[in-house]
Amino acid sequence: MPCYARFLLLLLCLIVIVECRKHKSRKKRWSAPAETHKPGNPLSKKVSDGTKTRKVKTSHLLRIDEHDFTMRPAFAGPAVPVGVDVQVESLDSISEVDMDFTMTLYLRHYWKDERLAFPSATNKSMTFDGRLVKKIWVPDVFFVHSKRSFIHDTTTDNIMLRVFPDGHVLYSLRVTVTAACNMDFSRFPLDSQTCTLELESYAYTDEDLMLYWKSGDESLSTDDRISLSQFLIQKFHTTSRLAFYSSTGWYNRLYINFTLRRHIFFFLLQTYFPATLMVMLSWVSFWIDRRAVPARVSLGITTVLTMSTIITGVNASMPRVSYIKAVDIYLWVSFVFVFLSVLEYAAVNYLTTVRDGKDRKLREKVREQSQNLPCTCGMSHTKTMMLDGTYSEADANSLAGYTRASMAAEDASEKPERMVVHLSLDNESTGAKKKGLRGFRIIQNTHAIDTYSRMIFPGAYILFNLIYWCVYC
Amino acid sequence: MRPGFGGSAIPVGIDVQVESIDSISEVNMDFTMTLYLRHYWKDERLSFPSRTNQSRTFDSRLVKKIWVPDVFFVHSKRSFIHDTTMENIMLRVYPDGNILYSVRVTVTALCSMDFSSFPLDTQNCSLELESYAYNENDLMLYWKNGNDSLRTDEIVLSQFFIEHFHASSGLAFYSSTGWYNRLFINFILRRHIFFFMLQTYFPTMLMVVLSWVSFWIDRRAVPARVSLGITTVLTMSTIITGVSSSMPQVSYVKAVDIYLWTSFLFVFLSVIEYAAVNYCTTLEEMRKMKRGKIPSTFNASQAMAFDGCFHDNDIELTPFPRMAPTLTSDPLTPPPQNPDVRPTEGTRLRRQRSVRENVDLLVSNSYMIDSYSRLAFPLSYLLFNTIYWSLYS
Repeated sequence: MPCYARFLLLLLCLIVIVECRKHKSRKKRWSAPAETHKPGNPLSKKVSDGTKTRKVKTSHLLRIDEHDFTMRPAFAGPAVPVGVDVQVESLDSISEVDMDFTMTLYLRHYWKDERLAFPSATNKSMTFDGRLVKKIWVPDVFFVHSKRSFIHDTTTDNIMLRVFPDGHVLYSLRVTVTAACNMDFSRFPLDSQTCTLELESYAYTDEDLMLYWKSGDESLSTDDRISLSQFLIQKFHTTSRLAFYSSTGWYNRLYINFTLRRHIFFFLLQTYFPATLMVMLSWVSFWIDRRAVPARVSLGITTVLTMSTIITGVNASMPRVSYIKAVDIYLWVSFVFVFLSVLEYAAVNYLTTVRDGKDRKLREKVREQSQNLPCTCGMSHTKTMMLDGTYSEADANSLAGYTRASMAAEDASEKPERMVVHLSLDNESTGAKKKGLRGFRIIQNTHAIDTYSRMIFPGAYILFNLIYWCVYC
Repeated sequence: MRPGFGGSAIPVGIDVQVESIDSISEVNMDFTMTLYLRHYWKDERLSFPSRTNQSRTFDSRLVKKIWVPDVFFVHSKRSFIHDTTMENIMLRVYPDGNILYSVRVTVTALCSMDFSSFPLDTQNCSLELESYAYNENDLMLYWKNGNDSLRTDEIVLSQFFIEHFHASSGLAFYSSTGWYNRLFINFILRRHIFFFMLQTYFPTMLMVVLSWVSFWIDRRAVPARVSLGITTVLTMSTIITGVSSSMPQVSYVKAVDIYLWTSFLFVFLSVIEYAAVNYCTTLEEMRKMKRGKIPSTFNASQAMAFDGCFHDNDIELTPFPRMAPTLTSDPLTPPPQNPDVRPTEGTRLRRQRSVRENVDLLVSNSYMIDSYSRLAFPLSYLLFNTIYWSLYS
């Protein structure tokens, strides 16, 4: 009995052990990450749950671990063609001071990688997000002449990967890039700028990777809502070319070109209109009596100061270029006009003073000869400098007592613009004649320079404006 | 471990292509440059058999797995390797183990600038490359093709003209760590003067010229001349402030400062000149009043009335019929030294003559200061300009 029993016990133990091992291995096979299987009790049965499907790891499905994806598809073979498609979401800003522009775009790459082909009955593609990108090969396109750029990563990396059963891959990302754009400001603000964004593969020359626009010119599409506050976007078009680097070879380069035309209205309102108003204001000085010295001087100098402020304001937001801009020409010519109006009044004043001095001397001589005239030179001189610029009755009365002879002599010595002693011959003869003469003389109390300036300055400025707007528009 | 570890130093050749100089900031005293930095060395461990002798190109993912030189930019403030859409790194491995490693970097580096000739200055900046960990016993950094290793794209700067790019190398000693190979990228920038001519020098010159206008205006127009002078001083002050706002606060005098402050002085002196003219005029008035040539009723302050003219208020008050008999007498014959006689007669004649004399004297007085100023100021400003531009150009 003990021998047989021991043998049977041993056999039983062996069977149990073998069964246990089988069970363990079955357990291992079923411990996929998506599943949590309870340790197998072969006797308990569960109703199968439709939502719990037997999933396989992506890496298993795509056989990623079987290949070395640091190498490009068809490595050491012909170049892999990569088609590119761009949808411009927005043009965020265009900076004159930095001479760059910021653009947000959806960048899509299309290529074929046989290693990623998988069997599929429905021929439907599989879509993945950014996490797969690190494991497979993707083209390393970069933006030439970009200053800063980033792939948006809110809420996760804005990357999409779509793999088709035959191995075609669609790789899309959302990028914001700030790229340099050489701007020419010689016609600012009536200018048009042409900027380009250039795409190129960093590592692979045209023997390894051929970059091309997937659908020719239609590869570039833009949102309808792209609008800039200061510019009008005229045209978006694509080109492609080869670029040569002496140390590394020839690369395919794709260009996104766009032309921007600046809206003039803001500058009209901000710069041209105030400058024109200042120039017109400086012409007001020619219509003010030349005897009002402080008024005319302060008018002239204040318009110069304002023009200077406008000029400084424009240059604050501009890059420091070494050539003259269209707006500079306008502002500086206006400044010169305003400056000349100040010089004109200085000339008028100086000539008035000089002539007054000469007239005084002349009248003294006349007085010496006639010896019966009160010298009215001082009075006339002072009266002509009065701020209110008019004659009062008192003046007329005070001049009574002149003889006709003296008046004649006075006539001879004066110029028609000078308003002097003609006002009164004697007490009796005043009346209407005095008043009439006074009115006549008041109108004539202007210097010849002023009269000519009233016509020349506006005429010249209008001519300048005609020439300027014809040239630049 | 680096190639040849424990053995001789590994030579690493460097090649640089400057893509752009993005900005040069005076306030921060730095510059920002984007360049393609290429390293060439040989690592036997990466050689592979090949019949065609063709190289293999890889992107950034291989870089983490192999050894690459750890070059850094000395005196850099910020730098980054561009990483859109992938890290801009290229690795090319040749069958014999030669490696070409290229990165696209933007670096902001320090450049001490000397502004004593600003804006007619030339700045000398340099970018320095050095290995961080390996000193010259382990890694020998050298320019691959001598001076031809440094190439530039079409670099256009708005404010500067790039005179010269050249490469040099040297050794740097750190007391704690030893001697390191250092490579220098030197470039010389000359500033374009045009912008400053238009923005600073030209308005300044115009303001100084405008201040001279005051000498040609009648000296009796007190408010006019004063407001002219003071407004030009205000504008000069605004220009000076405007220039200083975009400059670092250095402790020495810049060339533009000299020009602006001298022009400010000229404008200031024109205001002082008119104060002198006015004061001299008043002084003469007082003297004449004391001497009696002007009747005491003649108020000097009235002469300088706000409207800037001399007033003879008594003219209106004098009864004219009284004047008639006096007209027959020769107003000039009474000698001026007879002050007692005149007040008793009709005041009009007398006063006018004395006023006339007064006016003559004052006029001659002001003509002296004003007429000399009309010549002296422009000439001295012209002289200053000649000296300034010949010194700095």
